[in-house]
Amino acid sequence: MTQPEILHYAVSVVGKDRPGIVAAISEGLFNLGCNIADSSCTMLGGEFAMILIISLKKPFSKSRLVEELKPVCDKIGMSLGVRTLHSDEVDRQGIDGEICMISVYGADQPGIVYRVTRELAARNINITDLNTKLIGTEEEPVYVMMLEVALPDGVTAEMVEHTLADLKKELNVEIGVRVITPVAF
Amino acid sequence: MPVQPILRYPHPVLKKLCHRVEQIDQKIHELIQDLVDTMLDGPGSVGVAAPQIGVTLRVCVVDVSKNRHGKENNHGLLCMINPEITARSGSATMREGCMSVPDYTGDVDRATDITLRFSEPDGTLREIDASGFEAVAIQHEMDHLDGVLFLDRVTSIKTGLFRRKNY
Repeated sequence: MTQPEILHYAVSVVGKDRPGIVAAISEGLFNLGCNIADSSCTMLGGEFAMILIISLKKPFSKSRLVEELKPVCDKIGMSLGVRTLHSDEVDRQGIDGEICMISVYGADQPGIVYRVTRELAARNINITDLNTKLIGTEEEPVYVMMLEVALPDGVTAEMVEHTLADLKKELNVEIGVRVITPVAF
Repeated sequence: MPVQPILRYPHPVLKKLCHRVEQIDQKIHELIQDLVDTMLDGPGSVGVAAPQIGVTLRVCVVDVSKNRHGKENNHGLLCMINPEITARSGSATMREGCMSVPDYTGDVDRATDITLRFSEPDGTLREIDASGFEAVAIQHEMDHLDGVLFLDRVTSIKTGLFRRKNY
């Protein structure tokens, strides 16, 4: 007997934060027999954002998934997005390059995210995690951006720091790069 | 001596409190040899604790001298029987992984400087001060002797997205 095919979907749910969102969504998924594989959920401002990779055995369809989750989301005022993942997306390769944390902070101004990430993209540096936060006071707003990136072969943290040195001067922000590649004990 | 397979969670031995070694005999010497061989066999491995190869005894080995983080500051190969940390200070965060918990990593805070004592394989009691990466490795391996995994100490939730081969 062949194994039943496993289907994967990327589900995003966003809306005003309140207690019970995760419980409501995961209840809907549980009732459908879905597995939550990788997921990341976080509060941003007053919003709560969930991104989940879910899996389930065939036969199943995206419309069935939406049909079940949409009323749940409507009830608690959340928006819903569902994308079907193709098998080649599911079997993606792991990250083997050096992992770096890049911290960027300074006086808030337009273009910090764009200017930094444009430099990274040009060098094929993949962002694996990114978060930004506006801190400071109204008179002196400060922008903080933290990025986790995977460096392609042949690129070192020093090279990345050097790459961003001009930008650091131009935008007058602090930019630090440090290696955080995990050590497996 | 044979390289032993590394047990992976949820193997129950990994959550057991290990027993003190009462007598250092041939069996203990063989265990230490197995631990060293297993450590040398693992790519980039800097330590192995007895429960990771299925033995619930307070024995572990650490050698960070070949690792880029530890090569400047280390005691070479440490074979530790009944290790005890008698003093600790400082704190630093490092992203850790573990051969017994593959495909997951997380940030863990640990003391940067430790004093520990343990019995050598020949029975002599030794006391050393370890710091930096070597201190982290020793604390990680010693945690195994108490059934503690790095997952029990993760301090940051932004984690685990790396080195995952597939869903």
